[in-house]
Amino acid sequence: MVDLPLGRPAMVLVSGSLALLLSLACPWWLQLDGLPPNWLVLWLLPWAVVEGSLAGALAGLVLGSLHDSLQTSGLTAVPALVLLGLWWGRFDSARRPLERSTTLGLLAILGSLGVNLGYALQLQGGGPLPVLHITLAQSLLTGLLAPPVCSLFVLIWRRRSTRHAR
Amino acid sequence: MVLGRQFARLADRRILLAYWPWLLVLIGLVLVRVSKGAPIVDLYALLSRPFWPGTAQSEWVRQAQRVEDQQRIAQLELQLEQLHQGAARPAEGAVGRAAGIRAAVISRRSEGWWQQLELGAGSLQGLRPGAAVTGPGPAALVGRVVSVTPTTARVALLTDPASRVGVELRGNGSQGLLRGMGTSRPQLQFLDKDVEVQPGDVVVTSSASSLFPPGLIVGVIQSVDQQAVPAPQALVQLVAPVQALDWVQVR
Repeated sequence: MVDLPLGRPAMVLVSGSLALLLSLACPWWLQLDGLPPNWLVLWLLPWAVVEGSLAGALAGLVLGSLHDSLQTSGLTAVPALVLLGLWWGRFDSARRPLERSTTLGLLAILGSLGVNLGYALQLQGGGPLPVLHITLAQSLLTGLLAPPVCSLFVLIWRRRSTRHAR
Repeated sequence: MVLGRQFARLADRRILLAYWPWLLVLIGLVLVRVSKGAPIVDLYALLSRPFWPGTAQSEWVRQAQRVEDQQRIAQLELQLEQLHQGAARPAEGAVGRAAGIRAAVISRRSEGWWQQLELGAGSLQGLRPGAAVTGPGPAALVGRVVSVTPTTARVALLTDPASRVGVELRGNGSQGLLRGMGTSRPQLQFLDKDVEVQPGDVVVTSSASSLFPPGLIVGVIQSVDQQAVPAPQALVQLVAPVQALDWVQVR
């Protein structure tokens, strides 16, 4: 399953596009109380962990910018994703322990909390929006999906990485 | 001088040749950003086409359009007859509005941080930014088109925190401003202090509104806060159920 017949650039393009498209419309069975998981976090985490801080921050910038262009509001995910990319990129030297489900799940929950906190700060507390509800539901779902999704992508990116070539 | 040398180094053909793929990526990113994600949404519309909503609601929309068209034809015939009989010229706008364009809802984000829809029709079908979007059946306002791509249109819902719509109460005509709150029930702020309003009153778009056609049904007053300062406020239950909308009409 890991040996998909796609090169690294094509795989980056396809999986990144899929993360953005899933942000547009997520199947109902992958939603919690109408809220989808944070697909950007689920894509960025394995990428940054394998490729390092700089690649993680750049991916956060690109992915966040593209995601922002799909919104009507002026909210941006770029600062949070860039910081998460930088942070997760620092784990690239400790690759083995990160394959444990709990670690990836915990990092994804913290990442989703960070992105939602960024939105809440931009809205100066969220106004009348149920910020806590949105943040908790999305973070929980992201954390639950992270172990299978991120583990798979960690393996995929490592097979294709120029930094961890076998 | 130093800056000039640095610029000349940057413009060096060798460097440009070495980094041209990144330059292309950067240009692509800027283009996507400027076009408000048009290539991504168009790609999404193309890929999701086999999964678009069924025809049941589409048929309701079509029937509503047919009824509106028939009413419009009847009005036109009546006015033509009046003109032939030498009656006064009918008032402008009395003919009614042409039926809108039907569009499938291909992406719905009404929970969480965003309150928006993506429609499966765009500028190629004649949609323009600023158009009013209504639900199937009676013209119940849903939101407003904010941007279009060739095959899709993005709609900001009435519940969007940035949404502001001039409305009035059907009957006594009390004017107010409907503000999106990010929740399912927007808030109506009345302009006058002395307003006769009670739960159950129908809210329609204002005749003074420049954004929407007048008289479109918006919702029903659910609760009223008469003590609010400087004027009473009310919560409005929207008539068009965004969660159940598969097809809409763009006017």
